[in-house]
Amino acid sequence: MDASATYQVRLEVFEGPLDLLLFLIRKKKIDIKDIPMATITREYLEYLDHKERINLDREAEFLLIASLLIYIKSQMLLPREKALDEGKDPRQILVDQLLDYQKIKAASLLLRKKEEDELQKWKRTALPSLFPEEETDFMEVSLFNLAESFFSLMTKKEKKKTRTIKRKEFSLEEKMKEIMAVLKENSFLDFLDYFSQQESFEEAFISFFSLLELIKSRIVIAIQKGPFQPIKVKLRQESYLKRKR
Amino acid sequence: MKNRLKEVIESLIFISLEPLTLEKIKNVLQEYPEKEVEQAIKELLESYVTNERGIQIIQSAGGYLFSTSPEHDLWIRRLFKLERKTKLSSAALEALSAIAYHQPATLAEISAMRGVDSTHTLKTLLQKKLIKIVGRKKSPGSPLIYRTTDKFLAYFGLTDIKDLPSPEEISKILEEEKDLEEEESSVH
Repeated sequence: MDASATYQVRLEVFEGPLDLLLFLIRKKKIDIKDIPMATITREYLEYLDHKERINLDREAEFLLIASLLIYIKSQMLLPREKALDEGKDPRQILVDQLLDYQKIKAASLLLRKKEEDELQKWKRTALPSLFPEEETDFMEVSLFNLAESFFSLMTKKEKKKTRTIKRKEFSLEEKMKEIMAVLKENSFLDFLDYFSQQESFEEAFISFFSLLELIKSRIVIAIQKGPFQPIKVKLRQESYLKRKR
Repeated sequence: MKNRLKEVIESLIFISLEPLTLEKIKNVLQEYPEKEVEQAIKELLESYVTNERGIQIIQSAGGYLFSTSPEHDLWIRRLFKLERKTKLSSAALEALSAIAYHQPATLAEISAMRGVDSTHTLKTLLQKKLIKIVGRKKSPGSPLIYRTTDKFLAYFGLTDIKDLPSPEEISKILEEEKDLEEEESSVH
C-alpha cells in the first residue's frame, strides 16, 4: 500500500480528545508511560487550531483535555522541596485514562471485524420485506387514538414509581430532529416502544408534542393495520414527492 | 430412530426466530435422554459443515440459529434491493465496548472512559436494544446503570459474554499497530 494513502486514512476526524492524543503519541513515537508534557501539549494545541480536523460538536471536550494537559505541565514545572515520589507523577491520571481508552478502542476495532462478518450472515430474525408495505394497507390513526394511547402508556409508567432527580430542558425542535433522525435511519418508529424509552414525563410530553407537530405539518403519518394494532409512525411519502417537485 | 431425532431438532431450529437454546431443545424433546439429544445436535451441526449447502446453523447468543452462508451476501442484498447493511457508528462501537468490558456501567463512567459525552450514543444503543438499563447505582444522584443485551451477543456473533475479545487479543492488536508504524517509518 502507498504510504501517503495510509496517512490519509489516519487524518479522519477524531472521535474525541483521547483519540487525538493517542494519534499524536503514536505519531511522535512517544512512550505512553513517559509522556513529554511540553511536546504533547504544543502538538495538541496546534491541532486544535485546525478546527476542520476535529468534531466541532465536541469542542468543549477537546478543550477540557487541553486544560488537563496544561495543568499537568504546570505541575511538573513547579519547583518542589522534595522530589516527586514514584507514585505521584502528575501524569498518572492521564496515562491511566489513555491506557484504558486504548484498550476500548482496540476492542471496538475487533468488534467492528465481528460485526462485518456477522452482517454477511443473514438470519430470518429481522428480514426486510420483499414486498414493501403499501401505505394504503394501513389506516391513519386519529389524533384522539394517538392521545389515548399516549396517556394510557404514561399512566402505566406512573404506577411504576419512578423518581426523577435531574432536571433537563428539552426543546420541541430538538425532539423533532431526533424523531426525524430515527425515521431516516429506520423505516418506521414504533409508537409505544419510543415513548416507553423516554426517561421522564417531561421528556415524554415534549416528544409527544413534537410528534403531533410533525403530523400536523404533514411530514410524518401515524398508521396502524387495524384497531388495537401497534401504532407506527412513518415519513409521509407524499411529502417527499411534493418537495421534489 | 436416531436419524429422526436429528431431523426434529433441525425443524425446531428452523422454525424459531430467536436463537434456540440447548435447554429449550431438551425441554421440547423431554422423552429423549439428554445425551442422545446432545449427540443428535452434534451430528446435525456436522452434517451442515460437510454438506454443500447455502445455509448453515450457527451458535449465537447461547443458542442455535439458521443463517445464510457469508459468501452469498451479495445476492441476498440484491434480492432485498439493499446497497449494504447499516453498520454501527464508531462512537456507538466505542461506547459498546466500554460497556461490554466494564458492565454494569453508568453514563458518567462511559463518558469518562471515552473522554466524550455519551448521552446520545447510549440513547441510540438503547433504541437498537443492544444495551439495557438494569437499575440504579447506589451513589449520589442514583444514576442509571447499563448492561449489554442478548441482542448485543447475537449482533456480534458471540455465544456468551465470555466470547468477547480477550485482553490478549487486544494487546496483540495494539502490538500489531505498533509494528505497522515502525515499518511505515522505516520506509520513509
